[in-house]
Amino acid sequence: MSDTPWLRPLGQPKLVVVRTVENGGPTHVRLPGKPARTVEALRESWRIDDEWWRQPISREYHIVVLDDGRNLTLYHDLLDGTWYAQRG
Amino acid sequence: MGPGSGSAFLPASPRVSSGSRQALCLWLPTFELRLELVRSPALDSTSLALLSSGESTRRTIWQVSERAHEAGVRPGQLVSQAVSLCPSLTLLEPDPAHYDAAVESMLELLSEITPILEPAGRGRVFLGMDGLGRLFGSPERQAKKTLHSLFRIFPAPLVAATRAGFAPGKFGAWVAAASARSGEPVVVGDSDLARFLAGCPVSALPVDPLIVQRLERLGVQTLGELRRFPEPSLISQFGDEGRSALAWATGRRIDPVRPWHRPEPIRVSLDFPNPVGITETLHGALDRLIERALSRPTRQGRSVTGARMGAQLEGGGSWFVQTVLREPTAQRERIASPLRMKMAIAPPPKAVDTLIVEFTQFGAASAQTGLFDRRDESGRAAAGRELTRGEVPPSLRDAVKELKLRLGHSPLYRVVEVDPWSRIPERRHALLSFDP
Repeated sequence: MSDTPWLRPLGQPKLVVVRTVENGGPTHVRLPGKPARTVEALRESWRIDDEWWRQPISREYHIVVLDDGRNLTLYHDLLDGTWYAQRG
Repeated sequence: MGPGSGSAFLPASPRVSSGSRQALCLWLPTFELRLELVRSPALDSTSLALLSSGESTRRTIWQVSERAHEAGVRPGQLVSQAVSLCPSLTLLEPDPAHYDAAVESMLELLSEITPILEPAGRGRVFLGMDGLGRLFGSPERQAKKTLHSLFRIFPAPLVAATRAGFAPGKFGAWVAAASARSGEPVVVGDSDLARFLAGCPVSALPVDPLIVQRLERLGVQTLGELRRFPEPSLISQFGDEGRSALAWATGRRIDPVRPWHRPEPIRVSLDFPNPVGITETLHGALDRLIERALSRPTRQGRSVTGARMGAQLEGGGSWFVQTVLREPTAQRERIASPLRMKMAIAPPPKAVDTLIVEFTQFGAASAQTGLFDRRDESGRAAAGRELTRGEVPPSLRDAVKELKLRLGHSPLYRVVEVDPWSRIPERRHALLSFDP
């Protein structure tokens, strides 16, 4: 291993599979290697549009409550249409 | 019947396996008020009431003397009601430090008779008497000897007012003490317990007062009458408490006296040159006292789970608040914060002469933080001095060296802030490899 200290970002997004309703709100979520869970409630949503001058970022965030009681932060990447789970 | 708090009869901690079946209960009704009368005998000829502590507004009556009782004053009444009923009523502020000191000296004295002591509130204590027959003789003699020993610390009127009951289990002993006359112990043997309990009122049961009220409304006045009901019907009416009530009423349930464990508290105090009533000054003093208590050698290796803050007040009297911490801690702010909150709810009624902080309950030391402690535990390299910011403690340096030898690299990381206010979560913090 090199002697140079290295940096690893915390809170990296993880790819998830999400089923949505017509207006785009998540209804089911499947985390990698886990069975699909139903979204019981949508607690909060917000949107981030940033860094248009270099690599644009456009995300729609949702905090959802799953049917096992867990809170999960999801975002929909509006540029490529993929969904991610992320620790805030 | 007196202050029959149920907590004394709750099952003890499962860690305590042994106890004493034969129990002696000593009960001094209105203990605190009697201590005030001992301290100021001139008050004996007046109508006297002790105020409840706690609320700063709408004070209520806590304990009343016989004269005040005759005038219609009752515990729980508002002060205005009590004074209108008895205009000559003398009201006293409670002095918990004085009462606690009296309890301490009583427990110390009683521990010479038996090591198994279980206090249940300030004026009531259970003594485990198993195996003392060969030392002190019959149960009557044991009870009388115990009562007599109180003369060493209390004046005669206080000892004379103490009631004693000797029976198998705490409930039997408590009921016996409550039915005893002052200075004349009631002794109940194993074979007589059920018969003795049959004549006692249901109000003696250490159950929810609403259950007692319902029983009395149904015409069940004594434990003997309660016994006539089958267990299933009591359970269907009152749940698990119905089952317990029947077990106590029949004498089937015997709660042994459990030895009471209380760690030696850590106590620090600060005398003010002039009485202080300013909250900010008291908060500052509280912080300094907690720091002093935390640095005491007897605290080392333990965290704090219970703390008390108290004061000797200007012109006499005392005041206390206490807190049980949610998590064991050795951090000043985590201890000070709940105490400050309690103080805001029930502030000292007068200016403070002396501020006191006591750590009363302790937990295990936190092993998790040991590696990252900024003090050198061995005391060899840094001799316990505070390390400057960024300096790595030798204990941590040694641990990393050992891990590198085993694994080939350091598996420790430090969380660093990269852009903590970024809107993009993954930009805020990062892990940095840690290799001192």
